[in-house]
Amino acid sequence: MSPDLPLQDVRVLEIGYGIAAPVCARTLGQFGADAIRVESVRRPDSLRTTGSGWVPLSVPWEIRRDTGTGINGFTCPEKRSVSLELDMPGGRAAFDRLVEGSDVLVMNMSVDAVENLQLTYDRLRAVNPALIYLNLFSFGSEGPYRSFRTWGGNLSALSGITALVGWPDRPPNGLPLSFPDYPSSMWGVIAVLAALLRRDVTGEGAELGVSQLEVAIECIAPSLVRAGVSGAEPPRTGDRSPRGAPDGIFATSDPDRYVAVSVLDDDDWSRLARIEELRSLSTDPELRTADDRARRQDEIGARLSAWTSGRTAWESTWRLQEAGVAAFPVVDNLSVLKDEHLASRRFMQALPHARFGAELCYGQAVTLSETPARSTRAAPAFGEHTREVLREVAGLGDEAIEELLQVGAAHEMTYREVQLERPYYGWIRHLLPLQWPPASVDPAEVLFARLQQAYGEDA
Amino acid sequence: MTAIGLLRGTRVLDLGSEVLAYAGRVLAELGAEVILIEPPGGSPLRTVPPLVQGEDGTAVSAAFLAYAAGKRSVVIDLNGPGGRSQLDRLVASADVVLLGDPARAGGPELDERALRLVNDDLVAVSATGFGRTGVRREWRGSDTVAWASSGMTFPLGDPDRPPVVAPLGLTNAMSSLNACMGALLALRARRARGSGQAVDISMQEAALSVSMEAGPHMAAEGLVPGRVPRARMAGLGVFSGPNGTTVDIAAFLPGQWDSLAAWIAEVLRMEEPLLEVFRGPVSVRAPYIEIINGWIAELLGHYTKQEFFLEAQRRGIPCGPVNGLVELLDDEHLRATGAWEEHSVPGLPPFRLPRGPLCVDGVGAGPSRIPAVGEHDDIVLG
Repeated sequence: MSPDLPLQDVRVLEIGYGIAAPVCARTLGQFGADAIRVESVRRPDSLRTTGSGWVPLSVPWEIRRDTGTGINGFTCPEKRSVSLELDMPGGRAAFDRLVEGSDVLVMNMSVDAVENLQLTYDRLRAVNPALIYLNLFSFGSEGPYRSFRTWGGNLSALSGITALVGWPDRPPNGLPLSFPDYPSSMWGVIAVLAALLRRDVTGEGAELGVSQLEVAIECIAPSLVRAGVSGAEPPRTGDRSPRGAPDGIFATSDPDRYVAVSVLDDDDWSRLARIEELRSLSTDPELRTADDRARRQDEIGARLSAWTSGRTAWESTWRLQEAGVAAFPVVDNLSVLKDEHLASRRFMQALPHARFGAELCYGQAVTLSETPARSTRAAPAFGEHTREVLREVAGLGDEAIEELLQVGAAHEMTYREVQLERPYYGWIRHLLPLQWPPASVDPAEVLFARLQQAYGEDA
Repeated sequence: MTAIGLLRGTRVLDLGSEVLAYAGRVLAELGAEVILIEPPGGSPLRTVPPLVQGEDGTAVSAAFLAYAAGKRSVVIDLNGPGGRSQLDRLVASADVVLLGDPARAGGPELDERALRLVNDDLVAVSATGFGRTGVRREWRGSDTVAWASSGMTFPLGDPDRPPVVAPLGLTNAMSSLNACMGALLALRARRARGSGQAVDISMQEAALSVSMEAGPHMAAEGLVPGRVPRARMAGLGVFSGPNGTTVDIAAFLPGQWDSLAAWIAEVLRMEEPLLEVFRGPVSVRAPYIEIINGWIAELLGHYTKQEFFLEAQRRGIPCGPVNGLVELLDDEHLRATGAWEEHSVPGLPPFRLPRGPLCVDGVGAGPSRIPAVGEHDDIVLG
């Protein structure tokens, strides 16, 4: 561990599901914390259950649970994994010892599960009075919805986010994400960091509760203000943003491709004049002020669109960026994978995993000049560190650990010898030149050999 | 303690960056002293569209109102004599400066290097379209452009129309949250290292930080999602009933399907949904998407949106109503949990803002007000 990381002296335990708590713990781990994930065989993270789409269901779950790309490359890098069953006495006792030896506990459990598993703050602070305890609830710890279950787009829908995305003349589309989970994970990190700053001075722990619904509504507060002041629903605006004129998505010479352009203020607007074909638009005396432009945004949009439609998304982007105007092609996720700028910032990385030689991992959007995030490993395999964590952190002897494993109160990684390859090892180096393991199978070679065999001699 | 005070004693200068406005709000909710620096006449943020109007013609930026609460306001003329030295005095006393995009800072050269020369302990936070390093570091960004550059605009909307934009200010909010994480990490590092540092937020990367389900690693796995027809799976997604009742349902686990099937059978008085052929994991129901989704639409016709939501939850089916914002402002859970704070500003009718999602030792963010221009000149500068 680099001596220069902000959280090098902090140990974080995580009991997390899906995105919110796991990503919170991941970020803390990326900035130096010893992040330990406590996982259960009987109540596993759904991202462990689903695994990777191409792994057959007939493959033992003990292998499949280590293959999910979301968990391996996004939610769980920079962590260790210990598997304990918290509803078995031995598992619970071991867990309490982990709590004793940790600084922070991060969860995203329902109110009912916290009660049933006796993971309340009062119970745990008796074990460790200085514990910083965080739960990322869907709805907070109180209120009529507190025990409700949500999944996927449910919370986005409830929070008003879904209704804001789409066209005014159609039902809303919403976002194709469990959106509130992500900013909730960030609120979790923020709350833990602030509590650590206080504890550094006073020594006290904290009980931190975050409501994911309230996180979501704060992310759309500007639209809430519009609704609250006017008493009317702000309309969906399709491919245009109400922030600027022009600001939105515009057509290009390719009917399936678009370009995003934002002119946000008078400065941006005057810079359009640097583009010869747009000079008359930019210097139109009737469009001088932001108010003028707001009133005539449809017309402005049409005139910009006439220009962007005559060229590719990248051409428009280069011309606009050269003039100092914000623009970028509406790229798909494959283009993002090979984005040269992201590569120059080393955003996506290839990091080692217990089963895969290298996993594609997302980087950290927070860049610190002196104490940057570490990127040393992809997610742990399930129970990869059960023995070492129980020994080092819970202080258990080998006999005690064996006992826990025997009765099933603890589990560890099995089939350790099974090593896997990602199907993309063969080609990804051409898009994203990182340290990828060699591919033992080249599908093109296999196909070529078959074609040779079937048709080669006769041709 | 009656309000969150985790960051009491921390001084944050907010230089009026649009992208980091929410970051200032978050730090204020945590108890920091957040000072908004405004030019004479008020920050341009106060008039950034879209505006909300009062009866007497008052017009204020919705985004400004959304995120200015809890901040103090100080007027400094950076282009006038003594302005820069006034700022430098504040910088010398500050822990964090929310700089935003130096190119849009609207004053004489203001970047993290210049500010940290004044105060080596300072944590200087910049937020630019593509970050301060890398081949596109000079490129401009925006809320719309950042989301597009992350690959997340491409799959938004319907296949027969252009892609649509994400909700107003959403990417800015993600940049702000990343900025807060960075600022607090730097403050903690400062304890051990004895000096501050620069925090560099790329808006493109901030958008990518919410993109797992639609992101670049999926492309590596062969999945490049585009704009797809709606209702991709049986019992999963946004459903509308005949009276416009719209909900988001996620009944995909076998037990959840059984619950939904029983509900449909009960209310629509038919046996079909209970057939064995539909039972099991979601893939089993794939050939029957149209029939099943039709039943759900019909079921919706028997309830209001809120009734359906509550009944679904009662039956153990994950569900959320697709709320518009006017009804969200009146939601019973949010009212019951004190999630709102009432605000008023001269010239506008009263409105509510989220109080903040965090509770520390049972206590939420303290009461806040939206400052008038230069309201705290005396306290801060005097």
